[in-house]
Amino acid sequence: MKRTLVTLLSVVVGVAIVAGIAVFNSVREAEPPTLKAETAGTMQTPQGELPHATLELAVYPNSSASVPPPKTSSNFEANWLSGQPFYWPSTSIQVPANSAVTITFIQYDSGGTIYNPYFADVHGSMDGTMVVNGETVEGIKPSEVGHTFTVHDFPESSQPDFFLSVPLKMNKGNAKTNKDGYPEKPQKMEVTFITGDPGKYVWNCEFPCGDMYQEFGGPMQTRGWMAGTFEVV
Amino acid sequence: MSTATATANVFGSEVPQPAQHGQPGGIMRRLNFVTGLIGGLALATIAGVVTNILTPSGASTATFAPAAPDYVYLAVLLGWVIGFMAGMGAFVGPIRWLLGRDITHADAEYLAGKDLGWKRYWKFTTDHKVVGVQYLIMVMIILGFGGLLAMLIRTELGVTWAEVFSPSFYNSIIGTHGIAMIIGMIIVVMGPIANFIVPIMIGARDMAFPRLNALSLWLLVAATPCLISSLFQGGVQDGWSVYQPLASQGPPGMLGYQMTIIVFAFSTGVASVNLMVTTLTMRAKGMTWSRTPILVYGVFAAALMGLYAFPFYQYSQILAMSDRIFNTSFFDPLEGGSVWLYENLFWLLGHPEVYVIIIPSAAVLMEILPVFYRKPLFSFNFAVAGIVGVVALSGLVWAHHMYMTGWAPAVNYPFMLSTEMISIPVGFLVLVAIGTMWRGVVWTRLPVMAIYAVIFNKMIGGVTGIYLSDVPVDQYMHGSMFVVAHFHYMLMGAGLFGAMGGVAFYFSKMTGRMLDERAGSIGLWTAFVGFQITFGSMFVAGLQGQPRRVLQFDSLFNISNWISTIGAYIIGIGMLIFLGAIISSWMYGEKATSNPFGSKSLEWQTPTPVPLENFAVLPVVTEKPYDYGVPDPYQKELAAVDGDLDTQKVGSQS
Amino acid sequence: MTTTDIRPSGQPDEPEAPTNRPPSMHRVKMWLRRPYARGILVLTVVIGFLLLPLCWLLLAAMNQTGAPASPIMRDIEQTVFVFTLISIPITAFVFAVLVYSLLGWKHISGDEVPADQSPAIRSNTIGVVMWTAVSSLLAFFLVVWGLVELAQITANSYGTIPADEQPGDSQALIVNVTGQQWVWTFEYPQYDGITSETLYLAKDRPVYFNVTSKDVIHNFWAVELGVKIDANPGAITQTGVTPDKLGNFNVRCAELCGMHHAYMETGIQVLEKKDFNSWAREMGGGKTA
Repeated sequence: MKRTLVTLLSVVVGVAIVAGIAVFNSVREAEPPTLKAETAGTMQTPQGELPHATLELAVYPNSSASVPPPKTSSNFEANWLSGQPFYWPSTSIQVPANSAVTITFIQYDSGGTIYNPYFADVHGSMDGTMVVNGETVEGIKPSEVGHTFTVHDFPESSQPDFFLSVPLKMNKGNAKTNKDGYPEKPQKMEVTFITGDPGKYVWNCEFPCGDMYQEFGGPMQTRGWMAGTFEVV
Repeated sequence: MSTATATANVFGSEVPQPAQHGQPGGIMRRLNFVTGLIGGLALATIAGVVTNILTPSGASTATFAPAAPDYVYLAVLLGWVIGFMAGMGAFVGPIRWLLGRDITHADAEYLAGKDLGWKRYWKFTTDHKVVGVQYLIMVMIILGFGGLLAMLIRTELGVTWAEVFSPSFYNSIIGTHGIAMIIGMIIVVMGPIANFIVPIMIGARDMAFPRLNALSLWLLVAATPCLISSLFQGGVQDGWSVYQPLASQGPPGMLGYQMTIIVFAFSTGVASVNLMVTTLTMRAKGMTWSRTPILVYGVFAAALMGLYAFPFYQYSQILAMSDRIFNTSFFDPLEGGSVWLYENLFWLLGHPEVYVIIIPSAAVLMEILPVFYRKPLFSFNFAVAGIVGVVALSGLVWAHHMYMTGWAPAVNYPFMLSTEMISIPVGFLVLVAIGTMWRGVVWTRLPVMAIYAVIFNKMIGGVTGIYLSDVPVDQYMHGSMFVVAHFHYMLMGAGLFGAMGGVAFYFSKMTGRMLDERAGSIGLWTAFVGFQITFGSMFVAGLQGQPRRVLQFDSLFNISNWISTIGAYIIGIGMLIFLGAIISSWMYGEKATSNPFGSKSLEWQTPTPVPLENFAVLPVVTEKPYDYGVPDPYQKELAAVDGDLDTQKVGSQS
Repeated sequence: MTTTDIRPSGQPDEPEAPTNRPPSMHRVKMWLRRPYARGILVLTVVIGFLLLPLCWLLLAAMNQTGAPASPIMRDIEQTVFVFTLISIPITAFVFAVLVYSLLGWKHISGDEVPADQSPAIRSNTIGVVMWTAVSSLLAFFLVVWGLVELAQITANSYGTIPADEQPGDSQALIVNVTGQQWVWTFEYPQYDGITSETLYLAKDRPVYFNVTSKDVIHNFWAVELGVKIDANPGAITQTGVTPDKLGNFNVRCAELCGMHHAYMETGIQVLEKKDFNSWAREMGGGKTA
């Protein structure tokens, strides 16, 4: 009798430990709160008149008094990623389906030469162009890239394919900075693209702006910093 | 309080003794697991704090990462390992020798745990029986940790519509699951059974190097927190093979992995040497090689393979750690290194290592079969040939893991040849098993029922391995879930279930209690059913094209993954039941007799619990092992027809 | 206690050879008279037939997204079929012994150590020799099949020829595949270096891939085409294939490469040659080589 009880108890305790650890880590690793694009009005596009949504994202080189860092899953991660660049206010982005979406990027960080010049051009925008500081271009110089915003597919074949890559221009090293250390005149980029049917995608930066090998570690491999989710609903 | 005694009574004769300094045991009286913990934590804290102070704040490594987390974590790990081993008393022996102090018989008996009761399991005890039981506990902890991670992995893969964990966390749990299971499987038979049973089986009093025996165990205990702590330092965000250069992108958790392997390689190296010397030199009088049980061969073979293979692994991790901390570029191709160097170093261990897992498990089963079929082992020489063939070929097949790396496409041909060849000696072992089952009247106890699970899984694993050994087929299968299912069938299906049978067999001799076979059987067969569901479905997912180490995938693979996850939960329940059977039997099981299975092997001729020196008088062996069975009735008929005897020997005297 | 496997007739067979020794065929016949011999052979055949559908089922699992789309993939599927087919006899035999040992021969349960009843067979030369011969022959067959197949595929995919020595065969299409964390980009050096993140190929036109990585090790796996090669940093690896089916297929990364490894997928579009050429022109690439 005692033996059976101890056996059953082991099973129950084992299951409880597994379930507890699973739930705890799931909550701890949760994505940042969703940033939704706001729909306002319509826009003329090559595919006709579509609802128009807008969204603004900023990229900061590091946190400061006025811009706190993104939430991390542990103290260790907060320490490990302190001083690293991140997207603000969130990396979980949601845009409406079958719309024309305009994202405005305010880029405060410096940069350098991107490894693959493919990503110095804009891909997947409505007419193949983007607006950089008021000027309409097809891309920027590969030696002046600060970050990129590259959205690519989930491995789900039943949802529409989607690929969007926007290079974000860097701030020069001698730019004037404000009291937080950010450039007073950040780079401003705007891209408009058309979304199809609903689907889930991921995005990450393709410029090595992190640390460790090839500077693709650290924040580049942490959701909430330089990578996130992109949902078309 | 004892004065320096001149002689000690050792097995009836008076042996002159060196001077006794203080109480028997000396400082080892005061050192145990608690002092080890204190030593380890203290030195880890001091090392961490000092390193933190010495690292300028805001310092970066050459790759722009914050330097302090890396250096401090490494210092903490080193401090923990050295402090723990010092606190356990691992350095006491060498320091005594440095001081010129001999060990007296009373000291040696103290170290072996004489009259210490349960406390001897918490000390640096040299008695191989104590080390065997300590290994059993460690195996259960490590396999349990790996199993916990497996449940998390399958939960993520089963929830196909969302991400339960973030991708980085998922990557770390699959890597940590892999290495924890590999470490657990390496020691599951080599730890408890090779340490506890094999010396008694060969008629010895202990192993050749008892202190090294204790050292190998406590090094494993020191390595385990290094692995577990890595999860809290960002995790090992690479597979268990931690390919460079991805490993150089990871957070400091990677250092935990590297330190675990470096320490574990010392532990295995020391244990391998110990086992090999023991089996070579300490067999009882009369135990020629043809009278040595097959388990000894299997354990020796695994120790030999581990000895030549583990240094490659340890070396690869030392170089990887150097790449990370000192910014060398052994494995950084953009600075003149080579990724293929890492892959070769790793797989030079990675392949023999699976035979280190499989051969002892097969050998244990070959030891169990004769007892429960009451029949001699079929073709003992063939079994030895199989083991020798595997050892000989094991070092020649490693690059079949590298068919798709583009390293040296021309060598894919010879490696395909050697890989197909190695299936032949492994097949010998299957023949020996089914030959022993042939026409045998089976006594259906739990240890032998495991053989059915093992042979079934081994055939499936072996055949799927044949697909993978073919280079063109590997062009489709490599890096897919097909590979994952194949190695789980071999390592877990054949390896773990075999080890479970072995543990069930030797449980009464090791713990003094009978294992609750009803609960154990329910656990084992539940796990078996769950295993088929999980990994059979995983083969399908791999054939459909699901790559490995992915947490999100095409909806095409959804059904296979749901089925696999349900199967995994069934495995979990089954394994927990088996674990519960072990725990409850250990605590409340009925006391065991000395030979409950009627085995004729030497280790079952000792009383249970086994006395400290194993045998009052060392035995002399005069017969071949596996002396079971009755004369074959068909033989008498054939002999009557033939007029002379056939080649089959009746009985066993020779 | 007697065993239950003694021959039913209880009478020795009539020897036919003049030397009073039964010839081997007679011995085989005598062996087959034993009930367990017939039982296991029957079980082997039954289990073998039950396992036979696997040959087709494995292929069905592989073909769910449009495979096979190239001769290499067809080769692979044929190999899987043949290997399964020739593994079935030994596997069925082993499974038959497992089943028969529980159902055909006696078994005892209980706590008492049973008395010895099994025949003390220490060896059987015929069994050992036959097993060694059969398994060696099978292994030899597998090796020869594999070596020949590998040689054929390598000859067709220029696996060992470096990029600058590849034939200027105007037939062949050359694609430079770049893997990086975590996207694939494809460059067509013959078409003014146009780049794309979807792989466009022409049906029945051989294509040679020069694969490299910008950071860590990736693995370029064109799933339905049966092509796979690691993308290593600092090195260029090659493989090649001739797609022979139109459609949309998948490229997946098959080597863990960091956080978004699971999402490192892109599509393959195999078009008719003229459609491919118009796509290339649209992208701004006239053929330069």
